[in-house]
Amino acid sequence: MKIAKRVAFPRYAEYNCALKYFVEQGLDATYILQPALTRRTEELGAKYSPDFVCTPFKTVLGSMIEALEAGADTIFMTHGLCRLGYFGELQEQILRDLGYTFDFVNLSEYSTGKKRDWLRAIKRVNPKPNLGKLTLRAWDTIKMAQYLDQVTDFYYQNCGFDATGGQYKQIYQQFISGMYTAASKQDIQVVYQRAMDKFQRVPLDKPARPLRVGIVGELYTVMDPFSNLELEQKLADMGVEIHRWMSITNRLVHYPGENNLNPEIRDLCTYEMGPTSTANIWCAKKYAQQGFDGLIHIKSANCTPEIDIMPVLQNISSDYKIPLLCLTYDSQTSDVGLMTRLEAFYDMIDAKKRVRR
Amino acid sequence: MTASTPATIGLPRALLYYRYGPLWRTFFQSLGLKTVVSPPTSRKILDQGTALAQDETCLSAKIFLGHVQELVGTCDYILIPRISNFGRWRNMCTRFEGLYDATRNVFRGSGQEFLSYNVDVLQELEEEAAFLTLGQSLGFPPKEVKKAYAAAKKQEQQVWKAKLRAQDQLYRAQGLKILLVGHSYILDDPFVGKVIIDALKQSNVTPIRADIVDRNAALKASPKLSPTCKWEYSRELVGSIALHRDQVDGIILLSAFPCGPDAMVNELLVRRLKGIPVLNMVLDGQSGTAGVETRLESFVDIIRFKEGSL
Repeated sequence: MKIAKRVAFPRYAEYNCALKYFVEQGLDATYILQPALTRRTEELGAKYSPDFVCTPFKTVLGSMIEALEAGADTIFMTHGLCRLGYFGELQEQILRDLGYTFDFVNLSEYSTGKKRDWLRAIKRVNPKPNLGKLTLRAWDTIKMAQYLDQVTDFYYQNCGFDATGGQYKQIYQQFISGMYTAASKQDIQVVYQRAMDKFQRVPLDKPARPLRVGIVGELYTVMDPFSNLELEQKLADMGVEIHRWMSITNRLVHYPGENNLNPEIRDLCTYEMGPTSTANIWCAKKYAQQGFDGLIHIKSANCTPEIDIMPVLQNISSDYKIPLLCLTYDSQTSDVGLMTRLEAFYDMIDAKKRVRR
Repeated sequence: MTASTPATIGLPRALLYYRYGPLWRTFFQSLGLKTVVSPPTSRKILDQGTALAQDETCLSAKIFLGHVQELVGTCDYILIPRISNFGRWRNMCTRFEGLYDATRNVFRGSGQEFLSYNVDVLQELEEEAAFLTLGQSLGFPPKEVKKAYAAAKKQEQQVWKAKLRAQDQLYRAQGLKILLVGHSYILDDPFVGKVIIDALKQSNVTPIRADIVDRNAALKASPKLSPTCKWEYSRELVGSIALHRDQVDGIILLSAFPCGPDAMVNELLVRRLKGIPVLNMVLDGQSGTAGVETRLESFVDIIRFKEGSL
């Protein structure tokens, strides 16, 4: 039975395709996909946000307003381990003060440590969910996110060497739109397989030892191309192989855990410093050990945990003699400034590699 | 290190010192160790902290690094605890999770040794167990460490209870009363909060600190104002407001630029506290006090005008 609710989530990289699938196929509700993030989203969000919250708060708030404008009546917001866990309550208050009427499902209210409380959140949308189907669709959703991360990974590692001047990008875009229209497990499988097959057939012009850059950073900005001004694409287009371990499925599904990662970075830090700190330090060290040509640390302005790991990253950079570029994004960051810094960074790591050859 | 050659423990007079000072000092002294506390915050301390810190860290963390620098080379160890949480919905700001490691990385080349204890109740690491590990790592037998911790805890309670009693008197004071909402390390810092407290006293206002409050009662009351607030210190302040708002004439929210939790919690409080004058003040490391005084004066004037006494 179709539920009358019109559900939306804030935009977050391309993960909304997975959320859409879960809402439509698992909860039998309508998913409202608001427009992709633009300057307008960010300006809307910044206008109504307190000054020194982190930038994702502002972007997410703007995206919520755009969802309401697009006709959503129920908005979901995630919980989280840093300030993210408090986003929902403040954003709801701001939206109510602006006069919007809507249901707000704030997962922070349901993160009590008991699994059955998640079900209470789901029942806010569908009071009588089919649990068997819900579980199956939840698995599909995770699978979709996993494919998304896998294909995105593969894309940024290779798109900079596409000899055809554009086929790679086209395949990636077709893959993304395919995922947004997928309505079954088979669809997901087919869209994924087709993209991977097509990638294999594109001729690459890739040197034996290309420049490799490892990217680490804050959960939202590092993954969302709009928020990081398409840093990965820009750098890849210069002819660089991009590696970024941090993704939703790597952090939430395949995460090796603090107890497994900590021993590998014990020389640099003793404790877990924040929700993504251990992973980022571990990752940066691994990239350095593997002889990458450069490291880039991405974060939004005012992100406390990421500010605090910067001294550690700087020590990795000096221990392994690997260049480190730290980028902080706020809502005013311009494209041109980023381009200048990236070009300088590229020239530097390129020259360094030539000298060492 | 053994008990026969007493070590000196450096305590930076910043952040957690203002909450745990009595506990730390008594603990180490009971073990026969010497403690050295950095001098009160000064312009010099702030400046050297600012030079060491990442640009974007909060004022309080910059001050903290300045204090650590002040202690480097003057003691065997500098104590920086790592406190993550006291249970579910009782988290610390992530800065306190990373403080030990971040500071150690900043001072890596200095040769200074650091000391830590780890409180993470969600991982079943309680304060007492943390102190036991800490004492044993310094070479003391468990029995002695336990005794020292018990003595320290007793001293902490005594100091705290005296503070609470003095605070209760203030709510009964005559004249204008303003609730000052800020973390202990802001209100207690002579360079930051004291300026505000002094200015209020000069305008014949009784400033009452929200951070000195029956902590259990405050934790219980905080969900009334903000149900998903999860930071221990913020919850104490929010709960304190919920408990005392009817006993004061106005509220000043005081935070250090750019405090992560405060940036959000104070915004929410401004939106939710209706029917009582609220001033939201953010302090940075500027030296002049004239701007602050003007804002406080006009806030006090508004309250007096509203109550018909101006």
